Amino acid sequence: MSERPSPIALHKQLDAIWGTPPGLARLSSVNHTILGKRFMALALCFFGIGGLLSMLIRAQLATPDSAFLGPEIYNQVFTMHGTVMMFLFAIPMFEGFAIYMLPKLLGARDLAFPRLTAYGFWCYLFGGSILIVAMLAGVAPDGGWFMYTPLSSKPYTPGINADVWLLGITFVEISAVTAAVEIFVTILKMRAPGMALARMPLFAWYMLVTAGMMIIGFPPLILGSILLEMERAFDLPFFDPTRGGDPLLWQHLFWLFGHPEVYIIFLPAAGALSTIIPVFAQRPILGYRAIIAAIVAMAFLSFGLWVHHMFTVGIPHLALAFFSAASALVAIPTAVQIFAWIGTLASGKPRWDIPMLYVAGFFIVFVIGGLTGVMLAMVPFNTQAHDSYFVVAHLHYVLVGGFVFPMLAAIYYWLPHISGRQSLYRLSIPAFWLILIGFNLTFFLMHLTGLMGMPRRISTYPSNWGWDWLNLLSSVGGFILTMGFALVLADMVLQFRFGARFRRDPWRAGTLEWATATPPPSYNLAAIPHIEVRADQLQPAQIGPALARGDGYLSFAHRGEQETLGVNMVTGAVEHLITLPRRSYLPLWTALATASFFLALLFRLYWLAPIGALVTLGLFLVWPVSLGEKRDKGHIDIGRGVSVPPDAEAADNVTVLANRTALAMNATLFASLLFGGLFLLVVAPNWQDTGAAQVPLWAAALAILAALSGAVLAARARQGNARGGTTHPGLILAILAQLVAMASILAAMLWLDDPTGHARQAVPFVVLGYAGLHCGLGAVMSAHALWRLTRGYISARRQTEMVLGARWNAYAAGAVILAFGLTGILSLGGTV
Amino acid sequence: MIMRRLSHPLVRLVAGFVVWSVAFVVLYAAQALGCAYGWGDWHRPILWLLFLLALVPMAWLALPGPRHDHQHALHTAAVWTNRAALLAAVLIFLPVTFASLCT
Repeated sequence: MSERPSPIALHKQLDAIWGTPPGLARLSSVNHTILGKRFMALALCFFGIGGLLSMLIRAQLATPDSAFLGPEIYNQVFTMHGTVMMFLFAIPMFEGFAIYMLPKLLGARDLAFPRLTAYGFWCYLFGGSILIVAMLAGVAPDGGWFMYTPLSSKPYTPGINADVWLLGITFVEISAVTAAVEIFVTILKMRAPGMALARMPLFAWYMLVTAGMMIIGFPPLILGSILLEMERAFDLPFFDPTRGGDPLLWQHLFWLFGHPEVYIIFLPAAGALSTIIPVFAQRPILGYRAIIAAIVAMAFLSFGLWVHHMFTVGIPHLALAFFSAASALVAIPTAVQIFAWIGTLASGKPRWDIPMLYVAGFFIVFVIGGLTGVMLAMVPFNTQAHDSYFVVAHLHYVLVGGFVFPMLAAIYYWLPHISGRQSLYRLSIPAFWLILIGFNLTFFLMHLTGLMGMPRRISTYPSNWGWDWLNLLSSVGGFILTMGFALVLADMVLQFRFGARFRRDPWRAGTLEWATATPPPSYNLAAIPHIEVRADQLQPAQIGPALARGDGYLSFAHRGEQETLGVNMVTGAVEHLITLPRRSYLPLWTALATASFFLALLFRLYWLAPIGALVTLGLFLVWPVSLGEKRDKGHIDIGRGVSVPPDAEAADNVTVLANRTALAMNATLFASLLFGGLFLLVVAPNWQDTGAAQVPLWAAALAILAALSGAVLAARARQGNARGGTTHPGLILAILAQLVAMASILAAMLWLDDPTGHARQAVPFVVLGYAGLHCGLGAVMSAHALWRLTRGYISARRQTEMVLGARWNAYAAGAVILAFGLTGILSLGGTV
Repeated sequence: MIMRRLSHPLVRLVAGFVVWSVAFVVLYAAQALGCAYGWGDWHRPILWLLFLLALVPMAWLALPGPRHDHQHALHTAAVWTNRAALLAAVLIFLPVTFASLCT
């Protein structure tokens, strides 16, 4: 048996494997610590930009009849303020935090797909830059952050302003989608051995539920953006009521995302609170199980109340009652969490420090926002207050109270983990008071201006309506708030420069992230621990040095690979060894190719867009070229006398789970598309006496038959491979079958009447296009499996690509059947 | 098959609210379809029926099922979550019994 290296020697060996070199090589980094910090730093830059825009808004509204900004510029400023704060700050900020924190909290060395993390970051940077450059060029979106049609449709926004929003935000959302899959898979599969679900820290529970919500919540927005962009670019009438579209479809799709989005932002913040509060209360969190139940209840209920944003559009009382009841009821699981936090503090021995100031600020501000939320859930009040400054006040109390105050608490709590230094405190306390007073002065008064009838989004107001002094005080409050944030920024910079160093765990916390050295090394933990108690009641100060000595799993570097562990989703029993890919420039190149696709669409170079898409797909196929094994390895030693198979030889590995997750997300998008088609059929005006959506029966039958054959052939190839049989012919036939299905679907699409004429033709055109695209993807997945098989990466034990091929082909077949099913429904009732 | 899947703690944790979500979509769709296609006097009884049908599996899920000791915390959380789903279904879907359907 070889002698164990010293902690310093082990550190050097592991850092040589996991580290990122300086200079331009930083662009190739895939390390979650580096990328998490980049996400958060970029999100804070966007927060600064959004804050600057809010100052412009308050300067404009400080006095009546102001000529500071013209209405055109003002429209861009308030639209960009909301867009930047929601899409470029809040979502990426918690994504970055989760990317940085989760592996450390769970006892893993990185996330499940490091290259995907890097790709997501580049998409975020490039997509966000498109929006900011457009704003500097004076062509920023100007239709409000929720881009209602018909205002954002071509006739009323003929420039590229709306395209910038639709394409820029969709580009940025790639990072949200990739992060959701990563977070979901990492939490379920990459915890430290022994960390059963029932032992998982609450922050991981919150992020697991948040990731699940993102998987279901983001596709409707992405679909809505695609449909609106198709209407603007190719005149397909999904939202034009004169041709069978309906502006309300946009509102449904947007708010189906938009309301859960509020909880998607709040839950990670609540996760941070559930971590911080027990530390300062010096006792375990009260109601661990009740909080898990509350998070799940909140997640589901938040999907059942999107229509409360549409109470005034004219919907029947029954539907109003549904959504009103759900909107009020969601306050209960929120209250369960708030009472659990208060109970934890009340029954503990609270010690006050800077993070706790912001926790107190959260309680005050968020509870006010929650109460005005219950007021707005009531239809009669909502009708009165709709689109007034009362709503602006409410949403800022909820979002700033529910996200920014917990974020500031989290910054003061975890920044020492990043910097390795403690806070100076001199600026922290005045900063808090400036923020608390400035925020309430700014936004509490907006309740009053709203109740006095001031509508949102107006750029000026006359001086004789009694709003003058309230607006002036709001603007003064806004500038006080900004001073507070400037002090926080200065405090952060000073902490990095002058803060006192510490060794480990300055707060006497109970979670694993404080067991790392600070700042954390590239590999997080020199050894992976075995967890035997609930993982928010650990003693990091004792565990950390033991892990640095190598007391745990994988406390060696002799294989020269980036290794971490995969566990059973429920019990946390160690199941397999995961070898992660090394740093690479491929994510950057792929994101640049993706950027070319979006820019081509933005500048209407439609010939270039498919090339960008194909290059992106091609680069994605290059990603796994050097990954995988060409021989079965069997069980591999992971230390502590335990051996497990590699990830590639495990049936339920992270790649398979990630693809199942991606397919669930994809299915949500498709379900939203089918819902959209049926919604237009049932609700939209001008559907009488329109031509039926007709496709030839032979094309439908051939497409369904071919797609089903492709699915069966891919599944049989997988089974044959598992038995050690020959699978090449099956895969080749599966590819051919999907190509036949694609061609048949294309023929059916061409058979339809002009899709720009009416939604009855446009909907099947797009639905069939979706199905055809997925037949193509099924063929690509089978071809990929065939290629990997030929190169020797697949065996009866290593069959990941075969599983993926079977799944994607089965999905394609399902999509084809449903697409022709909807087309059939749309052919009924129309004139032939 | 369903019973085997329900023995998975994560499935059991979300099962009640999954049923709630399906019922929500079905009831909302039935309300819209009934108005669009003029179901007349049948409209409310159909909604009543769907409402009661949704409550059956949710009530069953709200009962404490067999538990495994090593997942005690998850088991309790699942029971509470499923009871919350049942309560949410009763309160949110109750308007199908009295609110005006199409106006």
